[in-house]
Amino acid sequence: MHLDFTVAWKYLPFLLQASLMTIALSVVSQALGTLAAFFLALGRMSARPWLRRPIIAYIWVVRGTPLLLHLFFVYYAAPAFGITLDAFPAAIIAMSASAAAYNAEIIRAGLQAVHRGQVEAAYAVGMRYAQVVRRIIVPQAVRIIIPPYMGNAISHTKNSSLASVITVPELMLTAQMIYSSTYRAIEILTVTGAIYLVLTSCLSALQMYFERVTSYEQRGLGSARRRRLLLDAPLQSA
Amino acid sequence: MIEIEDLHKHFGAVRALDGVSLSVAAGEVVCLIGPSGSGKSTLLRCINFLEEPTSGVVRVDGKRVGWNASGDRRVSTRELARTRAEIGMVFQHFYLWPHMVALENVIEGLITVKRMPVGEAAARGRALLTKVGLADKMETYPEHLSGGQRQRVAIARALAMDPRVMLFDEPTSSLDPELVGEVLRVMEQVAGEGMTMLVATHEMGFARKVADRVVFLDQGKIVEVGTPEEVFGTPREERTRRFLERILV
Repeated sequence: MHLDFTVAWKYLPFLLQASLMTIALSVVSQALGTLAAFFLALGRMSARPWLRRPIIAYIWVVRGTPLLLHLFFVYYAAPAFGITLDAFPAAIIAMSASAAAYNAEIIRAGLQAVHRGQVEAAYAVGMRYAQVVRRIIVPQAVRIIIPPYMGNAISHTKNSSLASVITVPELMLTAQMIYSSTYRAIEILTVTGAIYLVLTSCLSALQMYFERVTSYEQRGLGSARRRRLLLDAPLQSA
Repeated sequence: MIEIEDLHKHFGAVRALDGVSLSVAAGEVVCLIGPSGSGKSTLLRCINFLEEPTSGVVRVDGKRVGWNASGDRRVSTRELARTRAEIGMVFQHFYLWPHMVALENVIEGLITVKRMPVGEAAARGRALLTKVGLADKMETYPEHLSGGQRQRVAIARALAMDPRVMLFDEPTSSLDPELVGEVLRVMEQVAGEGMTMLVATHEMGFARKVADRVVFLDQGKIVEVGTPEEVFGTPREERTRRFLERILV
């Protein structure tokens, strides 16, 4: 077997260009999916059945069917409803919908891990629901959510390769086009794999960073927080 | 200061509160005693609407809790929150917020609910933590505090809001015996400053010493009300006597 990585080198700029598309696809859909997931998670925890049940059904359907099918569905079925979408927006919609379903359950697990008593203590000092969510629940839930959330973000980034089937010119589709014209599948796929690995490694590094900055016990009070609380000032008499 | 009229709270078939009426005057300290499941906690939780009563009326400082004055309409969540801010509550399991240091726990309500500037709130929080004997624990996370220290932070957190009344839900029941005293001393100090207090407790020594009146609850009903001398010394009701015998051995 004869390997020739000069071909891969020659086409590297195209692969890097395409990886920007992969990044855009992953980041935008993950961001939209996370925003939606936050509200889905709150709704999923609601005592109101009319709010909770449709969300349970949505999560059940979207997690229970393949992303590949969602991509085809949005891209090919949308025109039947009079909407014609380009490949990129179609992929964003399908991938955001998928990310929302997965992240909703991850976020819900984090929100529910905060003890009911802490929420009651917050109500007892006079906080309202939105304040309790913002000041008490979310800051604690974030720490719990980070590992499963980032794990899912890594899967999501790899799954963006599926958008190649609806002709989004992302990394996988570009790789396929290059090796089908150069017949250098091994070299091109190796380099493509390396690029995916770099992208997902960035996410792993980001995860470690997030875990570090949110572990409050180890870190203690930062100097900014100490100043804000006037803890550096001499103690006033009580 | 607190008026409770014919309060009922039913959980399915269980009548946690079965027609409780009680009136607590300003500055009065009332201890609720009674066996587990007698309704002490439920009564306190109904006063600030953490538990919604099945029926009955609760008024704090003349204002009806949870409903408008004529009782035909529930108040808004904003209005309910405002009422709750005037009712301090201390829980059996403290429920400090673990992502905040002691001082942040104490001033969170001032900042979020009362919109007080952080510096002003912090000064007030430091004074309160000093008062409960925790001047050296301002920037300690709850995780690194003992149970007694946590409960004192929780008391400071409730006092920070400058409440009209304080509700204590078995504040020492989850503490190691040697830590009970430090919490009771703080409560006694708060009582001494004229705070209106309603305290569910198993600490008969505290009730005897600090309470103006003792209320004995059983099966969701008030069985007996009286001064500590009356209730502990010469209980009128057989059920009170049996309960006291069991717990004072």
